[in-house]
Amino acid sequence: MTVDLASDLASRANLRDPSAMSPPEVRVVQGNKTFGWGSTQVPALADINLRLQPGSLTALVGPSGCGKSTLLRVIAGLETLSSGEVLIDGQPPAVLKQRGEIAVAFQDPSLLPWRTVESNVALAQTLARQSVNRQAIRDLLARVGLKGFERAKPAELSGGMRQRAAIARCLITQPRLLLLDEPFGAVDELTRRRLNLELPRLWEERGATALLVTHSIDEAVLLADEILVMSVRPGRIVARIPVRLPRPRQAQILRSPEFHHLVAQVSEALGLEPVLEGQR
Amino acid sequence: MNRLGSEPRAKLLGDPWVNSLLMVGALLLAWELLVRLLLSERYILAAPSAILERLASRPDLYARALLVTLREAALGFLYGNGVALLLATLVALVPVSERLVQNLALVVFCLPLVATGPVLRVMFGTSDGPQITLAALAVYYTTFVPLVVGLRAIPASWRDLVVSYGRGRLAMLRYVRARAAVPYLVAGLQVAAPAAVLGAMVGEFTGAERGMGVLVIQGIRSLDVVATWTVASLATVASIAVYLLAVAFGRWLSPGTPPLLLTARPSRKPSPAAAWISLGMALLTGLLILGVWQMSMDGLQLNRFFAKRPGDVWAFLVTHANAGSHRRQLFQALGSTLGVTVPGYFAGLGVGLLTACGFELFPLVRQGAMPVAIALRSVPIITTAPLVIIVMGRGGASLITLVAVMTFFPTLIACAQGLRQVPGQVIDVFNTFAAHRLKILVLARLPAALPAFFAAARIAVPTAVLAATVAEWLATGTGIGNLMALTYSTSNYGLLWSAVVVLTLVSVAGYGIVAGLERWVLSQVAPEQVV
Repeated sequence: MTVDLASDLASRANLRDPSAMSPPEVRVVQGNKTFGWGSTQVPALADINLRLQPGSLTALVGPSGCGKSTLLRVIAGLETLSSGEVLIDGQPPAVLKQRGEIAVAFQDPSLLPWRTVESNVALAQTLARQSVNRQAIRDLLARVGLKGFERAKPAELSGGMRQRAAIARCLITQPRLLLLDEPFGAVDELTRRRLNLELPRLWEERGATALLVTHSIDEAVLLADEILVMSVRPGRIVARIPVRLPRPRQAQILRSPEFHHLVAQVSEALGLEPVLEGQR
Repeated sequence: MNRLGSEPRAKLLGDPWVNSLLMVGALLLAWELLVRLLLSERYILAAPSAILERLASRPDLYARALLVTLREAALGFLYGNGVALLLATLVALVPVSERLVQNLALVVFCLPLVATGPVLRVMFGTSDGPQITLAALAVYYTTFVPLVVGLRAIPASWRDLVVSYGRGRLAMLRYVRARAAVPYLVAGLQVAAPAAVLGAMVGEFTGAERGMGVLVIQGIRSLDVVATWTVASLATVASIAVYLLAVAFGRWLSPGTPPLLLTARPSRKPSPAAAWISLGMALLTGLLILGVWQMSMDGLQLNRFFAKRPGDVWAFLVTHANAGSHRRQLFQALGSTLGVTVPGYFAGLGVGLLTACGFELFPLVRQGAMPVAIALRSVPIITTAPLVIIVMGRGGASLITLVAVMTFFPTLIACAQGLRQVPGQVIDVFNTFAAHRLKILVLARLPAALPAFFAAARIAVPTAVLAATVAEWLATGTGIGNLMALTYSTSNYGLLWSAVVVLTLVSVAGYGIVAGLERWVLSQVAPEQVV
């Protein structure tokens, strides 16, 4: 039996209802979130209203501790709002989550140290109740530059490679909603730039709605269709900046005046001196 | 690998195995010379050569006894660890149950083996049931506690990963927690293996027909020094052997260093509500135990003459016409036991901590002595007790020494490992200032070792009570251990059950006091280490 036939059979097993395959619309309505009880209550999110366009990539930027990650976790259904609601195609996140159609990339790669790279990626398919497709996993690992490391344990990889394995784990289930929580926060600048150019290609092929939490303004402008700027505690959305740069975006775009204009705009919304950013 | 401490390994003697063998050889030689040159006129110590001679003269006797005990220990090990696995799985799947299960497990762990033995004996008759049950009781807690820690000790992002795919606790257990807990299980099994041998031998004390425990009793009764030392040596070798077996099994199951086990408590913020919940849980635990006790006795239709119910103990100590004299008898014995347990316990803790500090100041000593100390931790009280009594006589000093010895080894090992928990970079900072080892010890290592010290101190409470009561039972004729032996031989079951209840409560209370002290000290010294 040829490999092609095997992968064809396996991918057919993963086929779903075509209408369910389209990327969902995500809405947060009047979202508020507080942590703690009584006098020790800390407001984390205040009056959040947002809409993620189906199939768009939205970046969420803001200072440390502003509640970006909390907002992402709320949309992922890992936390619940104190008031307000999260609707994914009009339904609570749990519905999509139960079908294994959400994938989250966390700040650290969180690979299981006793599993190989391949089997860590396979775990996502198992958890999403899909059949494990070895060939698809190997293809995807090759796409993220991990060819030859399928059988390596996470401890044998560099930080950047682990993060790429985590991205592969995220994408293997063909999620309709992709939530990325500062996935490149802990990798070195060179790896980060490479991943910033790779990620959009992988995402564009798959057509998922995506939310990227980041504290890098450059990264937000480079990757996103729209940037939401959050203020510090309690987190509010203080600006909404559309990014109308053409796709696919190449490295040259980093030197274009439009790019710098957008970076300045975001910096200003964050309360930073735009001049400082412009000089970088 | 991250560097813990920055002492370079001394290459003096090479392989740690060679090191340990040399150490053991030197000890044996010193022992032989001591007996031949200094103690030849006094019959308190048998030389290794005499022990070998005795073993060679009765190989069938010793081999049979050893096999019987090892079989009971193996079965108890299986049952006890099986129960520990089940309980830990229950806690992982139904987290609400944790507090209650932990409380129940602690109370059962605090049951005095010396008293549980006779109670089981009257229920089981002459079968090997008591030996196996006691072996199981001796191991389940030391496996359950690290297992619960291991099942819980997963990074939050692994939990989030499973939850983000809409999966629940069962998937979490299956794909993440179970495998993550293996190193902790391994650490628990290493302590459990020799404990099973101890449990089996205590069970044999209460009227078994065969086994090492029977030979111990015979040796003591006949005042046969060589026989006592022979069976003690054999039990020691067996205990160390099963410990090494558990280590080898652990290495195969999970390569790498086992984790250091600190605390078994979930993180919880202090609040008035939490205090009330604790109190409520304690009450619920008490009620549940009384209920299970009553119902199991009734359900098995056990004779009220020997199978006392909670009401009988209450009557014996409170409402009976002679309740006052009962209480006086019991509490007098208890006072005598505590009079040796408490000083011995603190001496063991103190000397253990000081020795561990000494190891830090003299790293060469540490290298040679640590493997020996870890092996000696496996030596059961049953074998230590007769030896200490032969050497030091049947007085209070013997008892205090015994309790101290049994507390010393676990404390030493926990502290020696705890002192090494300081990250390499911190030690490097001290080294850049050319700080003396003593300064590093006081300022960096000791605070880092506190959680390990307290973890050892908590577990040592029931151990200390066990050590004191076993020695009283076997030899000194004092205290509550002796009282339990007497009540058993005179069929005074009311007093026996009352002694079990009181001694268990004392152990649990002691454990609680140490746990409270731990919380307070850690919150003062190292708030981030209160877990």
